[in-house]
Amino acid sequence: MANQLLMAKSPEEAVAAKNASAVFVAGGTEVNRLGSDAAAAADTLISLKKCAGLKDIEEDAGFVTIGSMCTFQQLVESEKVPSYLKEAALFMASRTKRNMATIGGNIASKRSDSYIIPTLMAAGASMKLLTAGGKEVKTWVGEYIDEGDSDALIISVTVPKDMKVISKRYANTAQSHAVLTMSAALGEHGVRLDGAVKNVGLLHFCDLEATFREDPDVSEDKIIEMVRVCTGLHTADDMFGSDEYKRYLIAVTAYDLHKRITGKEV
Amino acid sequence: MAKQYKVVHCTVNGKEIEQVVDVRSSLTDMLRNDLHLTSVKKGCEVGECGACTVIINGEGFNSCIYLAVWAEGKEIWTLEGLTGPGGELSDIQQAFVDEGAIQCGFCTPGFIMTSWEIVNSGKEYTDDELRKALSGHLCRCTGYENIFRAVKKTMLRHLGKYEEAELVNSQGITEYPEPMPFK
Repeated sequence: MANQLLMAKSPEEAVAAKNASAVFVAGGTEVNRLGSDAAAAADTLISLKKCAGLKDIEEDAGFVTIGSMCTFQQLVESEKVPSYLKEAALFMASRTKRNMATIGGNIASKRSDSYIIPTLMAAGASMKLLTAGGKEVKTWVGEYIDEGDSDALIISVTVPKDMKVISKRYANTAQSHAVLTMSAALGEHGVRLDGAVKNVGLLHFCDLEATFREDPDVSEDKIIEMVRVCTGLHTADDMFGSDEYKRYLIAVTAYDLHKRITGKEV
Repeated sequence: MAKQYKVVHCTVNGKEIEQVVDVRSSLTDMLRNDLHLTSVKKGCEVGECGACTVIINGEGFNSCIYLAVWAEGKEIWTLEGLTGPGGELSDIQQAFVDEGAIQCGFCTPGFIMTSWEIVNSGKEYTDDELRKALSGHLCRCTGYENIFRAVKKTMLRHLGKYEEAELVNSQGITEYPEPMPFK
């Protein structure tokens, strides 16, 4: 259990202190929870609260760059932040939690019931990281989720301002963990679908995208059957629902989002 | 001093304090155990129930997942700070009493702190916005309608809309009188 806390004053100081037994603490909604795995495994907490330059939101040439320490409530209140990202931030129903939770912290925690990662992945969001060696690198959110350097510090996230993105979240109550959060974005190459499936992970549904590309009028029944037999999807029965339920939910949500984002009636 | 301890300087309920805290301590622990401010309730300790809500620099936070060391230089208010010097209740506290918005009372301090932020914001929230603003709090007795009504009435009174506050019915809906028919 952590017994030291470093209040880093700059991103450089934070990455210099990072090692295998240290964790970054951004807003604290994840790491500071009772029984949190991250806090339990760490010797040192590196607090980013005092890090300079991580709280700005800037707009330039159709893109919005958001500092990693911007809270969800800042996203909701900022006029620069696109509405699709505000919608995702509001999936966190508690305002007191939104005052704490940060965009960078929520990406870094890679939760399988993430509020915002599906939206960021679908929108093709990019990130600026500061590596342990002090080097700035650019990556896509999707890439970071798959193979991200967990010792690197997220500096900022950049999203397109005017992209059409819609998201849907399923949970028993506004405060509960979501069994599924899914987002669809309409880009140059068609519709992109990404999701967060509780206890399964953060997924890019490329097979479904290909099916919709080949036949934009594909039937809902065909999509349901396709997901039902998909061997690449490792859903299982748990307290959030049965394997069958999760597959059904993924299929009907993907169908619904695809229809809505392409402007077709469901 | 062992390195897992730090000194925190902050203002709590208008009083400057200096407190040695374990770097792992939550603000809830500091307020309850060191400063004996027991209105700050320990509920879920994962930031979901809102019973531990305190106001930090004007905004509501779940103090159970807020590290005590982060309070350095901050201005913190708990329920104890809302009462007058003779123990008089503030208007939002009195509204909770008047509207029967208190049952077991466990969630009440947290609800009142968020409500205090709402009624002092100077903003008139719609019913929908008000419900969303209160959604970070769980009432185990499920007295949400009474709580909603207490907050709505106090918000309207703070905005000088005393007559409108009296028109809020038991379901929290403002019932405007029928307009007089033209003769």
